[in-house]
Amino acid sequence: MNRNPADIGGEAAGPIDTVDHGMKFWEKQANALRNTLTGGKVVRLDELRRAAEELGDRYYRLGYFERTTEAMRNLLLEKGLFTRSELEGKIEEVRRRYDS
Amino acid sequence: MSHDHPHDHAKDEGPPSEHEILSRALQELLEEKGVLTAEQVRRRMELFEAEFPQHGSRVVAHAWANPAFRKRLLADGKAACAEWGLDLEADRLIAVENTPRVHNVIVCTLCSCYPRALLGMPPTWYKSENYRRRVVREPRAVLREFGTVIPDDVSIRVHDSNADMRYVVVPMRPKGTEGWDEEQLASILTRDTLVGVALPRV
Amino acid sequence: MTPSATVSAYTPAPERRFNVGDRVRVKSTHPPGHRRTPAYVRGKLGEIERVCGRFPNPEELAYGFDGEPRRVLYRVRFRQSDVWPGYASPSEDFIELELYEHWLEPA
Repeated sequence: MNRNPADIGGEAAGPIDTVDHGMKFWEKQANALRNTLTGGKVVRLDELRRAAEELGDRYYRLGYFERTTEAMRNLLLEKGLFTRSELEGKIEEVRRRYDS
Repeated sequence: MSHDHPHDHAKDEGPPSEHEILSRALQELLEEKGVLTAEQVRRRMELFEAEFPQHGSRVVAHAWANPAFRKRLLADGKAACAEWGLDLEADRLIAVENTPRVHNVIVCTLCSCYPRALLGMPPTWYKSENYRRRVVREPRAVLREFGTVIPDDVSIRVHDSNADMRYVVVPMRPKGTEGWDEEQLASILTRDTLVGVALPRV
Repeated sequence: MTPSATVSAYTPAPERRFNVGDRVRVKSTHPPGHRRTPAYVRGKLGEIERVCGRFPNPEELAYGFDGEPRRVLYRVRFRQSDVWPGYASPSEDFIELELYEHWLEPA
């Protein structure tokens, strides 16, 4: 009956990987980005959570930071902070920089 | 190709994932739009890396050493921290104490709420779906997976941080720590003991 | 707002429906949208452990509204044996979480 993919308390599940695998550099930066945006009240944490929940089935296919990054993208587009084409242009620019 | 913004390029090994690229793109676009600066983001990274993770063990060590502070911490976590000089930013803190009859453990089943200003970033297991699914329903079994066995006559209390409060566990102070200074006490108050999946070890 | 109210885990909630010790039942409803009441406690019986204060409603904040008027938030304690069928434990275990007033009914 759960429509919210995040509402998973009590579901059956397998063993927990009890090792802390830490965070990659980009994940630390993504976390800091999110924190800067919520601290600056550009977005609310509640909006981000909702945007993550709206990923639906995708929620389960993504890792934690992948999820928060996609949620952030969707939310920022929703709020009109940039356009989709501006974002696509920037993604290409970043990708070229990594490739070079 | 030269760029005049001082961005940190990939410091991780291997080619960047699509999400890493997306995350960088989001940040750079926001910088160009004047919404934030790279320096702000870098400062937050430093806080999470170097400062926040120290706070929890120090606060609880102080509570172990100072019964009056302990009482204040348990009554109102945020106020006690503020009065001690620790700004928890947006976190509203509830400290829950372990006793010979009660063991506390923390989770956020709906996402990954965690007292970040006190403990830094949550460990991967805390954010994992299996922890979020299982610890509310079978805490004893989950704690055993962490190597922590709670005696039969101790009641377990799980705290699901599903709204505006954040939680930290005040473990029981073990025997063998008599006369220790706060720095020594803090050294056994690991992150895992403050979330409740481990017990402090002398 | 007094200085102590801004640096506290609690904000005053004098006009509230429930008090510490009250028995409450969580509404058994499954509305769409962003909710912070986990499915596992809906319809369950618990007890008010403390009054946390008044906060903007996250169900509204999630969609860009201001969340006003504020709602009273409570910590509610449940016996695990009241939440999970067949919960087996040598001791009486508990689960505690925060629930907004509009999700609670007197039991």
